[in-house]
Amino acid sequence: MTQNTSVTDEPPLLEVKDLKVEFDTYGGSVQAVRGVSFSVEEGKTLAIVGESGCGKSVTVQTLMGLVPMPPGRLKSGTATLRGRNILGTSQIDGQDFRGSEIGMIFQDPMTSLNPTMTIGRQIAEPLEVHRGWSHKKAFSRAIELLEMARIPEAEQRAKQYPFEFSGGMLQRAMIAMAIACEPAILIADEPTTALDVTIQAQVLDLMGDLQQDHGTAIILITHDLGVVARMADEVAVMYAGQIVERGSVDDIFYRSAHPYTVGLRAAMPSNDPSARRSLIPIEGSPPDLFSPPTGCAYAARCPYAMKICSTSEPPPFVVGQDHFGKCWLHHEEVAGGWEKILSGAPTLLTGAKMARASSPLAENKS
Amino acid sequence: MLLYALKRLIQGLITVWFIATATFLAMHAVPGDPLSGAKAMTPEIRKNLEAKYGLDKPVSQQYLIYMGNLAHGDLGISFTQKNREVNDIIREHFPVSATLGIMAVVFAGLGGTLFGALTALYRNKWPDTVIMIAVILGISVPSFVFAAFAQLAMVKINGAIGFSLLPVAGWGSVSHIIMPSLVLGLGTMAYLTRLMRSSMLEIISSDYIRTANAKGLPPTRIFMKHEMRNAVMPVVTVLGPAIAAITTGSFVVELVFAIPGLGRYFVQAVQQLDYTVIMGTTVFFGAFLVLMVILVDLLYGFIDPRVRVS
Ligand SMILES: Nc1ncnc2c1ncn2[C@@H]1O[C@H](COP(=O)(O)OP(=O)(O)OP(=O)(O)O)[C@@H](O)[C@H]1O
Ligand code: SF4
Ligand SMILES: [Mg+2]
Repeated sequence: MTQNTSVTDEPPLLEVKDLKVEFDTYGGSVQAVRGVSFSVEEGKTLAIVGESGCGKSVTVQTLMGLVPMPPGRLKSGTATLRGRNILGTSQIDGQDFRGSEIGMIFQDPMTSLNPTMTIGRQIAEPLEVHRGWSHKKAFSRAIELLEMARIPEAEQRAKQYPFEFSGGMLQRAMIAMAIACEPAILIADEPTTALDVTIQAQVLDLMGDLQQDHGTAIILITHDLGVVARMADEVAVMYAGQIVERGSVDDIFYRSAHPYTVGLRAAMPSNDPSARRSLIPIEGSPPDLFSPPTGCAYAARCPYAMKICSTSEPPPFVVGQDHFGKCWLHHEEVAGGWEKILSGAPTLLTGAKMARASSPLAENKS
Repeated sequence: MLLYALKRLIQGLITVWFIATATFLAMHAVPGDPLSGAKAMTPEIRKNLEAKYGLDKPVSQQYLIYMGNLAHGDLGISFTQKNREVNDIIREHFPVSATLGIMAVVFAGLGGTLFGALTALYRNKWPDTVIMIAVILGISVPSFVFAAFAQLAMVKINGAIGFSLLPVAGWGSVSHIIMPSLVLGLGTMAYLTRLMRSSMLEIISSDYIRTANAKGLPPTRIFMKHEMRNAVMPVVTVLGPAIAAITTGSFVVELVFAIPGLGRYFVQAVQQLDYTVIMGTTVFFGAFLVLMVILVDLLYGFIDPRVRVS
């Protein structure tokens, strides 16, 4: 891999390396996260996309120490925030980094807030705990934060309970709570999935504006490539517990380096009427995480699968500046591999013959 | 809220009226009457007595008289205790029952929430196992068995240490209250423990506790401000029925521990078919329970904002 070798003393804001998480269940251990590495830069948005169950939530919840262990188990990996370890601990220098350095919001705002505590109090809590502010000071700051989150009549609203809020308002209040201590990173795990389409834009706009104003980095988890296109700088595409492609948002949309990414794009609803086409969901289902395949996890569904794909795991082939794809088609012996990937949705399910049938990279299916 | 309270109060009054009517009808459906138990009695004496107590009148008229008196708060005169007013009996003996009952409810409520929270926090570890075995015992063994065991144990302990740590029976001092109220509250405590445990377990794995953790709140704060408050909610809802269970349980416990409470009088009155005492105490207990349930409902509204605001 060609590394960006510019000499900087400054470690990346957040760096995760080779994260592996398993869950011990009666049926065996589920390998939910299988060697995930990524980094997040100051003020940038990293989107993590992938099908349901591919390990997006487990990845970020492990970083936040929110995965119950047991049944969860950290198998390997490191995670550092500005060079300081955050894995397996919630403390940096005896201070909880959660809520102060990294804030997090969740998918369902309706159930993610305490039903018997006022919104204002819940927003004030991190300020009391991390900054030692008084009840009163924290509460009046909570009102300001609600105003910042564009909640009308914030002063009255702060005294209300979650059930008196609508879903969109709750998610905005959640954002206000997560950024109360001005964290460097905001993790948003599918923040708009549970909301009406019309409300989704408001919440995304709010996140975007807060990022502009405060330089907060965002890790945004979503299934929705529309959200990715709107918000992300960098994108990590996850499949079966691994990042199979990673690149800039343009890389992902215009220079996809993995057949799965192309499949996701084909399955993406388009709201551009001129480009209206039927959705082509990816056939088949993700592999069993109890015993993941030895080769490429996507092989069973991939239209281009070759012999080698089922026997050995593809490495991350670097295909551009900060852009890699975990796919054998990038191997130098495969002629026109990338073109094949880019041929995209229309030929997605038909596949194409390989040039050199005798090589280990020859096509598997007849 | 005030309107709600008023509505509940009126509903309560209607309930009490139903209880009174049902008791009255049940009383008159039972074979025999208060006078049939007495020794030799000439027909004339019997007639006189019937006239005195109004038993010679048709049942419908007796009912009207009874209801009229009840409306004035007059529960009548005992048949078996010469000229003793039922109101007097209640006034004298209810405070004893109430003290016993309140202490039992306090024990049950505090113990239940505490042990329930403990079992949830130590889920599947030894404190959980030990307490849950005790809970099964507490729920399945009737209170008079506990009462007997407690007395026996106390006799042994007092004998072993050479002085009276706690009195075995009777009434009068603070130390008299402890053992019977524990015994009385035990079953309810066990029930509340189980309830609190499942409630707590549900809340520990809820989304908003995950949020609280993601905010970096210290565990003690999460426990006190987020978990306990929400977990205790279902316990409060069953406090009404719990008080009822304890009240009915008190009849037995008062007998075993020789406590001069109202429950003992009630049992006695049933044995002697003392109409007025039975009806009076039943209506009184009924009204008391209805009031408790209303109070608990209002309390619930106070701690659950979803009820309070709407
Ligand atoms: N507590 C647990 N016990 C066992 N398996 C678990 C547990 N939590 C998660 N998993 C497994 O880990 C895998 C990844 O789950 P995760 O929630 O990270 O998926 P996701 O990508 O966030 O999906 P979604 O888009 O549906 O939120 C899933 O296969 C899931 O079954
Ligand atoms: S071509 Fe092979 S390595 Fe690439 S995605 Fe398909 S199965 Fe995986
Ligand atoms: Mg998820």
